[in-house]
Amino acid sequence: MESAERLVRTWMASGRDEEIEETVSEVSNDRIALIDIVKALGEYLTSEDDEIRAKGVDFLSSVLARSPVANFNRSSVHVLTNFYCSKLDDTETIIPALKGLNTLTRLPTCSSIDATTIIQALFRHVKMKALVHSVRFTVFSIIDTLMAQNRDALKALGKTFIAGYLSLAEGEKDPRNLLLAFAIARVILIEFDISDHIESLFNITFCYFPITFRPPPNDPYGITTDDLRQGLRACLNASPSFGPLAVPVFLEKLTAGSPSTKRDTLQTMAVCLPVYGSTLARVSGRKLWNALKLEIFQPTDPLTEEEALKTTRVLVETIYSHEEDALESNDDIQGLARDACEECIHILREPEKSSAKPAIKVLCAFMATTPSVSRYTLSQAVPHLVKLFLDPDEVSNRPPILLLLADLINAARDSTSQSTEEVSPLMIPYKDDVLGVVSVGLKTTLSRLPALSVIRGLITTKSLLSEEELGFIVHLVTETFQSEDSDNDDFSDSAILSVLTTISASVSRHVQEQTLPILFSSLPDTAPTREAAAERAKCWRNLLALRTLCVHPELFEILVIRLTTKVDLICVPKAKDDIEDDPEPNTAYAHSLLKTIADTLSAKVDAGHPDVTKYIDRLVPRLYNLFIYSSLQPTKYVIATDHRLISVAGDIIMLVTQCLPVQRQEKCITAIFEVFSSGDVHGIANGLQTIPPGFKLLLFNEATPTAQKNLLPLFTAGVVTAHKEVRLPIPTLDTFLDQALTWSLVHADNDLQRESAWHLISSIINKHAEDISSFLDNQLNHYWYLRVANTEIASEKRQQAIQAWIWISKGLLVRNHPMAVNYTDRLFEVFNDDSISWDAGKAIGQLASVDVILTKKHHAIMRILHAQKFVNRVLPHIIAGAQDSSRPPHEQTAYLVALTSLIEASPKTAYAHEMPALMPLLLRGLELPDVDIRADVIKTLLAAAEGDASEQSLVSEHASTLVTYMLKNSMVEEMSSMQVRIPALRYLGVLPKIVRYDVLHPCKSIVLRELAKVLDDPKRLVRKEAVDTRTIWFKYNG
Amino acid sequence: MPAEIFNPNPIVFSPAKPTGRLADLHAQSLWINDTTEPEEGADDVDPIDQDEIFDLIRSINDPEHPNTLEELRVVSAPQIEVNGNHVMVEFTPTVPHCGMSTLIGLSIRVRLLRSLPNRFKVDIRLKPGSHQSELAVNKQLNDKERVAAALENAVLVDTVEQCLVTAGRRGHPE
Repeated sequence: MESAERLVRTWMASGRDEEIEETVSEVSNDRIALIDIVKALGEYLTSEDDEIRAKGVDFLSSVLARSPVANFNRSSVHVLTNFYCSKLDDTETIIPALKGLNTLTRLPTCSSIDATTIIQALFRHVKMKALVHSVRFTVFSIIDTLMAQNRDALKALGKTFIAGYLSLAEGEKDPRNLLLAFAIARVILIEFDISDHIESLFNITFCYFPITFRPPPNDPYGITTDDLRQGLRACLNASPSFGPLAVPVFLEKLTAGSPSTKRDTLQTMAVCLPVYGSTLARVSGRKLWNALKLEIFQPTDPLTEEEALKTTRVLVETIYSHEEDALESNDDIQGLARDACEECIHILREPEKSSAKPAIKVLCAFMATTPSVSRYTLSQAVPHLVKLFLDPDEVSNRPPILLLLADLINAARDSTSQSTEEVSPLMIPYKDDVLGVVSVGLKTTLSRLPALSVIRGLITTKSLLSEEELGFIVHLVTETFQSEDSDNDDFSDSAILSVLTTISASVSRHVQEQTLPILFSSLPDTAPTREAAAERAKCWRNLLALRTLCVHPELFEILVIRLTTKVDLICVPKAKDDIEDDPEPNTAYAHSLLKTIADTLSAKVDAGHPDVTKYIDRLVPRLYNLFIYSSLQPTKYVIATDHRLISVAGDIIMLVTQCLPVQRQEKCITAIFEVFSSGDVHGIANGLQTIPPGFKLLLFNEATPTAQKNLLPLFTAGVVTAHKEVRLPIPTLDTFLDQALTWSLVHADNDLQRESAWHLISSIINKHAEDISSFLDNQLNHYWYLRVANTEIASEKRQQAIQAWIWISKGLLVRNHPMAVNYTDRLFEVFNDDSISWDAGKAIGQLASVDVILTKKHHAIMRILHAQKFVNRVLPHIIAGAQDSSRPPHEQTAYLVALTSLIEASPKTAYAHEMPALMPLLLRGLELPDVDIRADVIKTLLAAAEGDASEQSLVSEHASTLVTYMLKNSMVEEMSSMQVRIPALRYLGVLPKIVRYDVLHPCKSIVLRELAKVLDDPKRLVRKEAVDTRTIWFKYNG
Repeated sequence: MPAEIFNPNPIVFSPAKPTGRLADLHAQSLWINDTTEPEEGADDVDPIDQDEIFDLIRSINDPEHPNTLEELRVVSAPQIEVNGNHVMVEFTPTVPHCGMSTLIGLSIRVRLLRSLPNRFKVDIRLKPGSHQSELAVNKQLNDKERVAAALENAVLVDTVEQCLVTAGRRGHPE
């Protein structure tokens, strides 16, 4: 007791937080009872001095707020409640008293009697208009808590409570308080007897509708417009009694509001109408529909239109859903759905007019309502459209009719797709008519695409069409695809193929029996001649179709058989005189056939089809056989010795072998290394053409003819895809790699052979780096000085050696091997060597670039972010090198070349932080004569332009210089390559978007004048960019 | 926006198929997938032709509807003629009393002013017999001074810009 008095006295004097803390701890430890504090406060609570009185109550409230719940029992709460309630009538103590009550109401020991006392005291004494918003917030919090914990006590008060609350809540404006008020109002509306107060409750809720609040900047409470909207909506749809009053408000706001108000109103209507009930919806349906119709047929914007359609759907659903069981036949549909439907059908009499689109949207919205309305709508709309289609006077309007029909069919499909139970598709009664219509529609060019969309709608509807009908569709579209007289284009082709692919996913039989034979038979046995461009285009089109369709396992099997047979026939013709003087068309044709297989395989690999692996036995040995056989007689069977054919065959082998399990790969690798060591090809090649039994393919032998050495890529393809677990069947890897490398630089005849050898080496290094330390050491310390740094050999040879170096380094780099650093750093050593410095510079970029050999799919060992790591390591060094003016110019240039190629090859995040230092260097790069480098620089700048604000402000500093450079690079007189002119123009178009107007506007007139010249560029693609860029500058205003 | 809507429910046509240039087909290589990079040959000149000019104006928005001039068949490729340095663009209003014709013509004029090299002389005309005040509109559209005066009017330029927002689509939906 004494300590309580002491603490109170000290606090009254000081007002410090410590005393409160101490009191609270005394209370928690039961050394002071709450009642002691009240006693100790005695004189202050009754003091004449307003300030002292308020302070006294405030102290008590502060202590209560922090005291643990266990310290309050029923009687203390009761006493305190009465105490605080008596303080509410005193204007000086009302604020701390409310604070105290706020604490008390949260206590579980606050009884219903206390609750009643509190709420009555609030109603009696609190005048909301006299209080600031934070105090009003306390009042709302008290009521909210009472509502949550003592709802029954409030209910017992009945109308007194509602009347009291109404007077408290009226006129509230603060958003934080409103959120609470809305929550309270929702409970009242749902749980209390509001029959006498509907109008008043309507007034205190609908007066806020629609919410136009815009949160102020730095709002401490973070209340958004949407929070308020949701809160208010929860009130508006809380009671059906609001209905008759609400509808006129909605209609008024809908006609008068801004777009965002309209959307809010429409969304609110959609949540309210179901609550307000079907009777009201039916009575006011017409009025509502008239308002909604306006938003649909003359929409302010697409979003509002969509909301209006949703609301229409809800309206119709509300009217009809409860009587669903009573609606058996279409005649039972009366009222709004019938009227609106008829209205829309009337508009659809002119399907080519612009109003037809919104009309069909309304009908589609109806499809998503109740089953009976959907049935009714379809029964009106589909026969109408079908009849219109068949009307000879409307022939010219067939395309739009079909498009409308497609929309309707899609809506019918989606309306039943959500339901879990099996329902028969709504379209069943009309499918024969529609099939008839599309079979006519497919015949003419203009209506073909629309007809295909109708078909797509039909075939994507579950259990609508029978197998025979699907077969009929396959027949129809295949016929359309092949028809000679009408001109097809890419759009209709891809639509046809997507129809066929969709069908073959469920039933492949029809495509297999009807489409494939036609496609295969239209591929000629020999290539079209050089001049026959149209025929060639037709071949390609058929191949594209095959590629799209034959991803399906069964169809792919047929594709492989048919196409490989054809390739065999072209490459090794039966009769000798079939060999043409000009082999190129046939070579290109064979290439396109193989490419089709490769592309289809690639799609299958991406889709993870398991049937890919079986082609190691069916396809791969045949390819080896064909190419080895051809290489034996390179003058006679010249076609399969073409580099491009060998490359694409290598791709096929890579695609198949990468999918094999380890054991099967091991078998394949053993056969390949058998070829490498002994030259015996019979373990791997097997096919129609007979390879002489004693033949040895000695790839790495100097004396072997070029045509045979050219086959290396086919064998490399099998090795680079091997898992690292696959054992390589050779005694010492070091020696093998060493030989292969020497061969690539000394004995290889062309780039095909060289690159293939490097791929082989790189992949083996990557997967077996642990086993080849002596090879790696040897390269670093001897090879480099012998083949690269050696100034006595021809620079061409040294350039090749650098390429080999890149591949060795890459194998190490992607797996973050410790020696990678030593390898990559060697390149900088030759930057001062004029004859190869440029190549060494570009090599830095190639190291960071992504390639097709060392990939996850090929089971390479790759560490994440290896490229970033590399860039982070070398970039500072390169920047320093390029900036260092003490170096000779050609060495600086080499650094610049390294910089541009590195940046172009690496991900943006890797160099973004260096942008300030990079910018001046990139500008210098734009002065280098090399076209590729300029293009790289501009592409880097384009990528940087998409970055954040800091990078964009960096651009501002250099804006006028950039404009000058880009203009120069976009003129045909200054820059002959359109690969530079196009990105330069694009960058000019980006600048106005990222640079502030006041910085760039001095350039505007120059840019517009200079670009006028570019408009006359000889190349159409450049002119297109120039037009777009110039348009952007015309619109560039402050 | 004017209060009167001249044609509340116009016919919307499906866009014409993009016409492939025959020369492109013949320029194709023998090899499949070989044409991704356009040829660098500095000598080949693509002349500015009817299709290119149509591409420039086909996606201009109609002032009255959310449709392009192409969709409403106000402009079409055959209605454009290129003869040396002379371009002739003809357009068809959707209804003969269309009060928007001048605005449409002005939009076309502005688009071509900005997009064609200076060496071209552009004539813009209504299709003969398609409009009740054909002569007046033609005169207005081809009078340099009156076009220049119109472009001094900020409100008018704003409306024209509105029509030109979509012009860059060149027949593509978005």
